[in-house]
Amino acid sequence: MTVDFSWEIVGQLAWTGLATSTFYYLFAVAFALVLKVNRVWNFGQAGMMVFAYFSMYVALQWWAVPPLVGVAVGIVVTIAVGVALEWFGFRVLRNRRSSVLTYFIFTIAISQFAIYLGEMIFGAAPKTLYTSIMSPVFLVGPIAISHWDLRALAVTVSLSLALAVFLRVTKDGQSLSAVADNSELAEVYGIGLDRAYAISIVIAAVLVVAGMYLVGTRLPMYPATPLNQFLILAVIATILAGIGNVFAAGIAAVVLGMIQTFSILVISSTWQILIIYALIFITILLFPSGVVLKPPWRKISRAAEPSSGAAVIASSPSPANGGRPR
Amino acid sequence: MAIKRIVTKILVGKNPSSSNIPGGQQRGRIWITAAVAAGLQVLPGSGVWAQEALKFGVADPLTGPSAIFGLDQMQAVRWAVEDINAKGGINGRKLEAIIADHQAKPEVGIAVVNKFTSVDKVPVFITAFSSVVKAVASIADREKVLMLSVGANSPDIKNLGDYVYTMFPLADIDMKALGAYMVQKQGKKRAAVLYVNHETGIEGAKVFAQAFTHAGGEVVLNDSYEETRSDFTGLVLKVRAANPDTIHIHSNVSDFTALVAQMRQLGLNTQITSFQTAFNPKMIQEVGAGAEGIIVTAMAPSSEDNPNVAGYLNRWQQAYKREPIGLPYTQYFHDAPYIIAQLYKWVLDRNLPVIGENLRKALLDIKSFDLPLTTRIVFNDDHTVNSPTYFWQVKNGKFQVIGKQ
Repeated sequence: MTVDFSWEIVGQLAWTGLATSTFYYLFAVAFALVLKVNRVWNFGQAGMMVFAYFSMYVALQWWAVPPLVGVAVGIVVTIAVGVALEWFGFRVLRNRRSSVLTYFIFTIAISQFAIYLGEMIFGAAPKTLYTSIMSPVFLVGPIAISHWDLRALAVTVSLSLALAVFLRVTKDGQSLSAVADNSELAEVYGIGLDRAYAISIVIAAVLVVAGMYLVGTRLPMYPATPLNQFLILAVIATILAGIGNVFAAGIAAVVLGMIQTFSILVISSTWQILIIYALIFITILLFPSGVVLKPPWRKISRAAEPSSGAAVIASSPSPANGGRPR
Repeated sequence: MAIKRIVTKILVGKNPSSSNIPGGQQRGRIWITAAVAAGLQVLPGSGVWAQEALKFGVADPLTGPSAIFGLDQMQAVRWAVEDINAKGGINGRKLEAIIADHQAKPEVGIAVVNKFTSVDKVPVFITAFSSVVKAVASIADREKVLMLSVGANSPDIKNLGDYVYTMFPLADIDMKALGAYMVQKQGKKRAAVLYVNHETGIEGAKVFAQAFTHAGGEVVLNDSYEETRSDFTGLVLKVRAANPDTIHIHSNVSDFTALVAQMRQLGLNTQITSFQTAFNPKMIQEVGAGAEGIIVTAMAPSSEDNPNVAGYLNRWQQAYKREPIGLPYTQYFHDAPYIIAQLYKWVLDRNLPVIGENLRKALLDIKSFDLPLTTRIVFNDDHTVNSPTYFWQVKNGKFQVIGKQ
């Protein structure tokens, strides 16, 4: 049984795929930023997503507060969780010069704990942030465009621009880049590492909340979805983009989201989720250094950085860099 | 026996088995004891029963995505047991349901049923959800414990062994009827069939597709999705490309709502059909106007066909100010304890040991059961039951009966 796809359908796939990739973009940028600055493969981000989602769920569904207040509650809770993760988790592991494997186990355990907590309190049934997830739709030619699509794109573009400006213009933003480039040197120049690490986590928390709000206003979410789907895609996107390329990771996430969406043209819907896992294998085996092309001067100036995602995963922290994985 | 021992201890001051009271005096006191015990056992709701309770197991999802149905089904069971006990129980013995959570997962179901048979030692249990029913059937057969499936609808269930019976009509009844109904009564010719990739979805969708084709329609798309899926964008657009005039969704509870919502969002306003899982007022609330026109099947009578159903719905309104989720399922769950009570009575009346083998004999002997909400259920020789199929449609935000077959 074959289905003939018209250009209208392909256009709709492209538009809706782009809109639904916005939260993948936000999660990938958050993940890549923490990896770049804190040098941690923060699989605990899935736990932050769970806290973000259910704090907004409580605020919006139980307390029935306005959307902005609900998002504010989500931001406060998620920042608190993120900062606690950095202060009581990563900093301790950093001081102990723990191995990458220890970070991995610790962050995965954090996420699993958050999922367990979410299921225990709210049940394992999927939940949306509002009772109805219907959003008004209008047509542009044959393409159905929902208000949610426009809101998702607007939020994502705005947050991207704000982050770019913050990283390039503000002192704190520049200090994040300095810490990411060479933390020892940055410390010599008086940049507080703990502050930089905390700031990157706070930014990641805001991006996570924005992404989870978009998810919860369009799809029902199971507590395990952040770990099973969103985080995995963020990790692949980060590796594909090359370590340290924060915005490129976001773009890679959009590309991956589009690949997943368009795959329906050639495979059954049942197999769509498997594409993510296929991409993990392909990325790690064939593109360990990423596929995003960098200008030659970037390659030279960042030669000392770990250029390979697989290499970073496999590397052990060295006492020479304060036990931080490099 | 327990109550007799307690009352005798009060009167005699000793355990009756070690009594050394002279014969005549003892006989007199035993008569008094028996009289008091008899008085207590005919006081419904007194909380004191003549003998040990007659237990049965109930395994259903109380947590997880399917708990939305399981919790209401358990309430129906509790009410039925309360009502049976309020009328004196079974020959003066209390009926007791041991309720356990299987999360709609086969592996959890196996653990629960093992506990029923080896720890609780129940001779009969009821359960639902096709994947669970299939997983635990071999335990029922091995342990010779009677199992009644209440709500699982995979057609394979009738072939699971001597001790496995379904009191719920299987998908080959309502899906056959729906497939034909959509072609013959609704004039549909092109169906897209979507199903969740597990036992219930696969089998139900297969029967619908066959019936639709057999009635003269064409299945233009047949596709599935995984159970925890929530983004259906690609699938919805694939349906749009197939250009069906009706879409059948054989799904779980939550994915039906998400799928319908995303269809409507992407401008797909085609007629949708489903089965009893979609018989859910919460779905209408969540999808809003997008739910209008959805047709679902139900295998239990409506309040128009059975006045008891109206009283049952009132009970829900009084207790919870709402209708039960999945009304037809809850009707079957409500009536299951009545079947079990009749089986127990048959065994007790014949002074037979209360074991699964004898309960099965009772089922085969009685065969036809008159029940409060599902009216009459007759067990066929192939372990199934028959039932008319009711077609309900969402009209003005409520399910309304539009046909019966």
